[in-house]
Amino acid sequence: MATTTATLNLSSDMLSSPINITASSILMKAGVTEGLELIEMGRGTIAEADGSKTAEFGLPTALGADKAAKLFLVNKATDPTYYIDIDLHDTNIGRLYAGDWMFIPWGMNDTASELVIEAEPSGATCPYEFVLLQEPQTLVAHS
Amino acid sequence: MATLTPTLTLTSTDATTDQLSFSVTDSLSVTAPHIGLAKISVSTTGANNIIQPATDGQTYYVYVKHTGVDGSGSTVTTTLNIELTGDVIIGKLAAGEFMFMPVGGHSLGVQLQASSGTVVAEYAYFTKA
Repeated sequence: MATTTATLNLSSDMLSSPINITASSILMKAGVTEGLELIEMGRGTIAEADGSKTAEFGLPTALGADKAAKLFLVNKATDPTYYIDIDLHDTNIGRLYAGDWMFIPWGMNDTASELVIEAEPSGATCPYEFVLLQEPQTLVAHS
Repeated sequence: MATLTPTLTLTSTDATTDQLSFSVTDSLSVTAPHIGLAKISVSTTGANNIIQPATDGQTYYVYVKHTGVDGSGSTVTTTLNIELTGDVIIGKLAAGEFMFMPVGGHSLGVQLQASSGTVVAEYAYFTKA
């Protein structure tokens, strides 16, 4: 069994007393105490001129229904005005500005749960990196 | 204006034959309003468990953790849906798991929904300056 541990620390000087939040968990398959075993990672670049694109990682299908997956995605652009717009299918989730990242559970249940990314504003080019941890999917017979 | 510093670390000694050791941090400029840290007993109706208001165009940095207990304090293994208002499911957290993400640029909020019974969640959000 693979054991992958994710730890998040959030600290801030927003209040006169410091804020410090730490969370840690072992990333498990859905409904069992076995760790996620499939790790996909890589990098790419998306330009505003590309329009909105389905992210080439993950590519959810019905094989991923009710399985666990965690996604880390970071915008490696250095221009602070450049951001990556992130949609879940046709619903906008939010924006990753230069240097920002997210770590989310991803319900890769079907083709309608794909992530769609787009660089903004006009003229922007955003390198990005990702790590996707998921369950191995059951292979289907060759037709 | 204040600074929020999130740091994520992923480690494993046996997921691959080469050890996985990964750490990333960021420095985010944030301002009021913010909620941190709060707790909510989440029911099975997402619309009753809105933890972050509609964004009205701004960006919120949102943290959510599944505490692994229900409203009575008993251990649970049921999952916790992370949703945009309108019941758009992003993903599910199992007991003990967490997430951190930016939400915004649109007019939706964030809501939580237990797969059954109740699930106690901890959450925080900060507004991008």
